[in-house]
Amino acid sequence: MTDFVQNCIDGLMFGSGYALLALGFTLVFGVMKRLNLSFGPSIMLGAYVGTWVYLNISDNTWLVALVTLIATITVGAYVERLCFRAIRRDATIASMVSSFAIWMQLEEIAMHLLPERTYPFPAFFTTTTLEFGPFYARSEHITMLLLTLALLILLHAFLFRTRLGLALRTVSDNPLASAYMGINGSNILFLAFALVSVLGGLAGFLILSADSQVTPFFGLWATFKGLIAMMLGGMGSLPGAILGGLLLGVVEANAFWYGGPVIRDLSAYLLLFVMLIVRPGGLIGQRIVAEQRAADERV
Amino acid sequence: MFNEYVLTVISNIGMISLIALSAYLLLITGEISFGQQAFFGISAYAGAVASTLWGWPFWLALLFGSILAALAAGLVGVLTLRISGMYFSIATLAFAEMVRLSLYKLTYQIEVDGELIGPNGAEGFGEIRWIFDHDISVLEYTIMIYGVLLLVLIFLALIERSRLGMIFRMLGEDPLLSRTLGLDPVRYKVSAAVIAGFIAGLGGTLYAHSFTYIEPQIFNVMLGVHSLAYGLIGGLGTVLGPLIGVAIDIGFLESIRIFQGYRMIVFGGLVAVMLIFMPRGILDEDRIYRIKAVTRKWFNA
Repeated sequence: MTDFVQNCIDGLMFGSGYALLALGFTLVFGVMKRLNLSFGPSIMLGAYVGTWVYLNISDNTWLVALVTLIATITVGAYVERLCFRAIRRDATIASMVSSFAIWMQLEEIAMHLLPERTYPFPAFFTTTTLEFGPFYARSEHITMLLLTLALLILLHAFLFRTRLGLALRTVSDNPLASAYMGINGSNILFLAFALVSVLGGLAGFLILSADSQVTPFFGLWATFKGLIAMMLGGMGSLPGAILGGLLLGVVEANAFWYGGPVIRDLSAYLLLFVMLIVRPGGLIGQRIVAEQRAADERV
Repeated sequence: MFNEYVLTVISNIGMISLIALSAYLLLITGEISFGQQAFFGISAYAGAVASTLWGWPFWLALLFGSILAALAAGLVGVLTLRISGMYFSIATLAFAEMVRLSLYKLTYQIEVDGELIGPNGAEGFGEIRWIFDHDISVLEYTIMIYGVLLLVLIFLALIERSRLGMIFRMLGEDPLLSRTLGLDPVRYKVSAAVIAGFIAGLGGTLYAHSFTYIEPQIFNVMLGVHSLAYGLIGGLGTVLGPLIGVAIDIGFLESIRIFQGYRMIVFGGLVAVMLIFMPRGILDEDRIYRIKAVTRKWFNA
């Protein structure tokens, strides 16, 4: 029983990283109704540029964080231009495949930048282990969990309390009507993508500096974990992303404890597969699926 | 003229074409599957087990692996009936990853000729020596691969000319219209999935016997995405489209040394640019239609 509770605590901690990634995914989906599969690799390339600076220029953690963020935004802009802007709005599948193609590109560019398997990533946090009775938690994970929740509140406030957020939601809900209102949809979408890149860069930096290393598998890992977490919670829902991330973390932590690394990954995919079949909208995104279906019927 | 390396590239093109054709068949019915590599892998393991561990004749093993792959594809098809679009793609991706990860846990070894062989989790499955035991040269095996490929191409071409093929394309173009016409999408979607699974399966068993060693990592999502991309590059208008895509990638980019280390950058960029300018590939339906019109004129003149 103690093991199980400790696993759940660990799961919540890891899950906060997944939740951060899922937030970025869900925001792209919420605004564009499309999936950006090269989200993970863009973050990885950003982090690789940051690592390169860390190894070759300066070991100032703040500078590395800044470079990582800027690089991620640049890569994000490239992806937006090539996979989203250039492709018709309703061609959701084409964007998805295109972002997968760009994924391969980004990964290979990263490998040319830093060809080794593992590189150190600057640790941003001072690590202490906190004890609660019989249970343990690492301080950097708690910081990450709190930061994730803070970001959720900030994002929510941005989307539902500011004019810009309102414009964003309008473009997402009804592009034509928003154009009549004089909103520049193209700029708004670009802004949304930049916002997502900032989120991604932040997520990447926090996760990597908690691990204090970066490997070429991070891109794949980030995309899949973020994707699974978002889909579990419900596509396009911000609280769903957090919920999905934490759920995924808890399930994985337990599966790892009782079955090892292969069972951990297997359980994550099984959970996703079953969720998609039984409840495609995820835990709380059913409304979006219903709306899409209704829109299809109306045509 | 045909040295071993060129032959290996050619036989590679043949085998990968099969999985590309399987992704293509689903593409024309309007579904994007990120998971055809699962059926390729299932058949590779099952076919190799049948021929190597159980001593079955090769053609029977090929059939066995492909039927198993078709059954698995049918199962996924039935399970994913309610979802489409992105949800379908991600579900197939999840299924394929489940298959790949399960292969890491699969251990089934039998002593053959005093040696313990068979799938052994992450260690892979080596010693698939049917080709060596039967003294089949690379050239002969390549001819066998292309024989199978030719049969599949003829089969697919016949389907495309039939009512079934028209229905597949209509499902892809306008699912609502096909439902209005009283067609049952369930039946056709599942049959497309089963046929596609079988074709991917043919490729899988051939692949296992050609390379004599397989491991779970081969059947990862990149294989599935590539096979999908081949159809999108080559064109969705004809069964020859995917073959063109494979030839461009494996025949051209992988084999020419200039692209060493930059293959993915070129290939990924190519796919992305193609999707912008020719979203249905080089030989899309429009161009095929025009080519057909021209050839008809020639023959009638």
